[in-house]
Amino acid sequence: MEFIGYFDEVFQPISFMLLLIGTIGGLILGATPGLSPTMAVALLIPFTFQLEPAQGLILLGAAYTSTVAGGAVSAILLKIPGAPANIATTLDGHTMATQGRGAEALQLSFISSAIGGVFGVMLLIFLTPALSKWALAFGPSHLFWLAILGVTVIGTLDSNSVVKGLLSGCIGMWLATIGFDDIMGAQRFIFHPELSGGINIIPALIGLFAIPQVLTMFAQGRKAADAEVLKVQRHPIGAAIRETFRRSRSLTIGTGIGAFIGLIPGVGGQIAGLVAYDQAKKFSPDRKKFGTGHSEGVIAAESANNAMVGPSLVPLLTLSVPGSPTAAVLLGGLLIHGIFPGSDLFDNHPDVAWTFINSMLIGQILMCIFGLYVAGFAARVAQVPQSVMAAIVLGLAVFGSYSVQNSMGDVYVMAALGVGMYFLERFGFVAAPLVLGLILGPIAEANFIQGAMIADATTGRLPYFFSGMLNLTLIFIVVASVVYSVWMEIRQRKLDRKDKEAHA
Amino acid sequence: MSRWQHIIPSGLVALTGIWICWVSYTQQPAQAFLFPRLISTVFVALALWTFAKALLGWSRAGDGISRRIIVNILPGLIVLLIYVFWAAKALGFYTASAIVFFILLSIYDPNPHSEVRSWIKRVIITVGFVVIMYGLFAQVLNVFTPKEALFQ
Amino acid sequence: MRKLLTGVATALALAAAPAVAQDYPERPLMLMVSYGAGGATDFQARIATMTAGNEDALGQPIAIVNKPGAGGRVGWNWLATQAEADGYTLGAYNVPHFIAQSIEGGVEYSIDSFEPIANWGADPAVFVVGADSDFNSMADVVAYAKENPGKLTFSGAGLFVGHHIAALQLEQAAGVKLAYIPNNKGGAGAMKAVIAGEVLGGVNNLSDAFRAAAAGNVKILGVFDLERSSFLPDVPTMVEQGYDIDNASVNFRGVMVPKGTPQEVIDKLAATVPAMFESKQVQSKMEAGGSPMKIMGRDEVIEMWKARQATLEKLLAGL
Repeated sequence: MEFIGYFDEVFQPISFMLLLIGTIGGLILGATPGLSPTMAVALLIPFTFQLEPAQGLILLGAAYTSTVAGGAVSAILLKIPGAPANIATTLDGHTMATQGRGAEALQLSFISSAIGGVFGVMLLIFLTPALSKWALAFGPSHLFWLAILGVTVIGTLDSNSVVKGLLSGCIGMWLATIGFDDIMGAQRFIFHPELSGGINIIPALIGLFAIPQVLTMFAQGRKAADAEVLKVQRHPIGAAIRETFRRSRSLTIGTGIGAFIGLIPGVGGQIAGLVAYDQAKKFSPDRKKFGTGHSEGVIAAESANNAMVGPSLVPLLTLSVPGSPTAAVLLGGLLIHGIFPGSDLFDNHPDVAWTFINSMLIGQILMCIFGLYVAGFAARVAQVPQSVMAAIVLGLAVFGSYSVQNSMGDVYVMAALGVGMYFLERFGFVAAPLVLGLILGPIAEANFIQGAMIADATTGRLPYFFSGMLNLTLIFIVVASVVYSVWMEIRQRKLDRKDKEAHA
Repeated sequence: MSRWQHIIPSGLVALTGIWICWVSYTQQPAQAFLFPRLISTVFVALALWTFAKALLGWSRAGDGISRRIIVNILPGLIVLLIYVFWAAKALGFYTASAIVFFILLSIYDPNPHSEVRSWIKRVIITVGFVVIMYGLFAQVLNVFTPKEALFQ
Repeated sequence: MRKLLTGVATALALAAAPAVAQDYPERPLMLMVSYGAGGATDFQARIATMTAGNEDALGQPIAIVNKPGAGGRVGWNWLATQAEADGYTLGAYNVPHFIAQSIEGGVEYSIDSFEPIANWGADPAVFVVGADSDFNSMADVVAYAKENPGKLTFSGAGLFVGHHIAALQLEQAAGVKLAYIPNNKGGAGAMKAVIAGEVLGGVNNLSDAFRAAAAGNVKILGVFDLERSSFLPDVPTMVEQGYDIDNASVNFRGVMVPKGTPQEVIDKLAATVPAMFESKQVQSKMEAGGSPMKIMGRDEVIEMWKARQATLEKLLAGL
């Protein structure tokens, strides 16, 4: 309960103003394609030089929480996921926006973000010591299995053709191997010099989602002006709150999985949303509605994304081990002020530690209030004429992918992947599994090679990868997930056939 | 939709898969190509399966590409490719974006070309977009874009 | 029309040419860091350049751009081949990393591709083990390795970086076979592997290890340097423990520019940048972050690069 005593620190006039700036600025930065939470926080570090340690961290904490939520805005309105975490949000969120239900989608996403986020920070406050052991329990073999578990999600993302979904996943994993390999430093598949840096995930994400979107708008040609104005439905906030709690199953699954996976260093943030989406779909009686603008999809994905924020800082705050790139940047923000995370932080600078954690708690709520306030207005983006929208999305895609590392090569990669993806999509290939492959491929590979090296020097590969409680549990979940998918697929086909026979 | 519409893309994917597979199994060092070998093998198997399905005319997923889509997309796609692969670097981001933005609006904006009002609207939207981009990326985020052709 | 444009362009170019040295820099500069945001190099680069905008320094801010990948190869390749040598594109170097990688091959740079400006820090490698490990000195570690050849797993930030050099030196000096496990997440990932007990020990940066030791997570058994560190006065060097290991693995960090940058620009930077590192603000922030500083001018760095090139060629030839 120690944290309550430090709340007045957050409500000091200067601190609270920083909190507001961090939240609103974070939402805007998060909604800008190309600016991942890591980049946004890194951009803010210089501003904290001038501030007191606690105040600097308030700014960073608020910005971190709200950039994660802000990524959902561009995912819903433009179908450009701001960060890998928001891929799952596009699946139902953007569909809702194209149906004129953008306001509803944004409201649901902010409410479930706040609920997930507050739960995640609560875990950070009350269970940190217990959780830090858990965060370290995942070694190379476990991370390898976790990546494989992520791959099994592919079956759920694509309802048209499982083979093409898996093939898309393979294309993604191959794309991820282009460039120098991270451990050995060998060059792989560099068929053009601009590719020597490999395929950066953020530009790839922008290209794969935004460019097909632009080309689809082109494909409609010069439509008559009155035909394309979409009615944007108003949506009362109260109804959104009721809807969120009515879908408590998805909310619980999202929050639980987000918090659980968020703890694991190195993997968590990127796949929490997708795994939560997959599980929510599997446990839902309305699983057929997923992907057609179903509220549960948005709720599960966004509650998972923000639930991950608090736990992802556990390894940093307790062990001084940054578990994610964003945590690494926050570590820098602490070190500048001479504060070392770990026992030093909570023993000697409790004011800094608790003010930081409290600011994330208040930040979640401020983010939600502010987000709900602008949701109705922001949803009007759907009314922008298609011709203007296509040009804006194209411009944002070029600027966004360039700004990641000031590289023209990233822009070329973005456009090439995007144009290719548009044509592949016309023939049943899907972007989401491809991106999943792009994210999980390197995790699976690096951990397999590291695990194999350790295993070769010690117990041997078979016992290293296939023994121990955690390995076996993960393998069991992988197998169960695959079996369940296959079983559902077969049952679905039988039902379809019966339907056809009944109609015939 | 004709069967060829599926045969061509799935054939291209299969060819890519075979190339990846060939590179993975011939390049050194072997340890760095262990993982590519694994995925390329699965890749080729799945790609050949898809290709066989396309040949037999079993492919259903996807809507294919109609003549109308090609006619509509082509001008925009050409502008996009010139913008990304040449203009952005040669003319500078803001100059190129302004020109491309205006061209795209001229091609796809349904407002009649004969009215002056629709042209004024297009210019205003273009300028507004470029100013916002400049403010956000050059001023707030301090992104270094390539040199502009028209201004510093 | 075209003639007019060409004329204007020429006039502008002529007017701009002599002004390069006097007015430089007239717009913000960019410093490429070949490691990810939040890593030790990125963190120190941000502090070292934070006063660049002051009037007594460069008068223009320096923005950090991260190009991480493959132990730094991606970023340095970019700087050597694609970056504009106009004086506005700087790069951060890590010695011995980039020199070792250029000797190993497969990259497009060597010490001749870059012009050093100044050095800001020197971070020695240290040997760490988990806090509850049975090892209490390097002698314990080596004894274990002698009994179990090739079975002592220990982590480091990658292949052909300072940690790997230190590992090779230790193998040679102690005459043992060890299992070096390169980590794909850099020093932080390698440290996590030690704390979590995935490996028996690890080579890591002194600055990171100092923090982890202060938090009670690891024990530091030895420093791969010629002298003890002021941060860790109680930890003996490798030489003191009987292993003949010099400072070849010490991670020197500093600023360089691609070859072809105008000489006036190099001179101007070489004159102002070391003074910038010496500012009180930079020194106190570095000290607070536990980052050992070592400021060296351009001439000293040129000598240091040459010396490293010679040592590393010898060391890596035995591989």
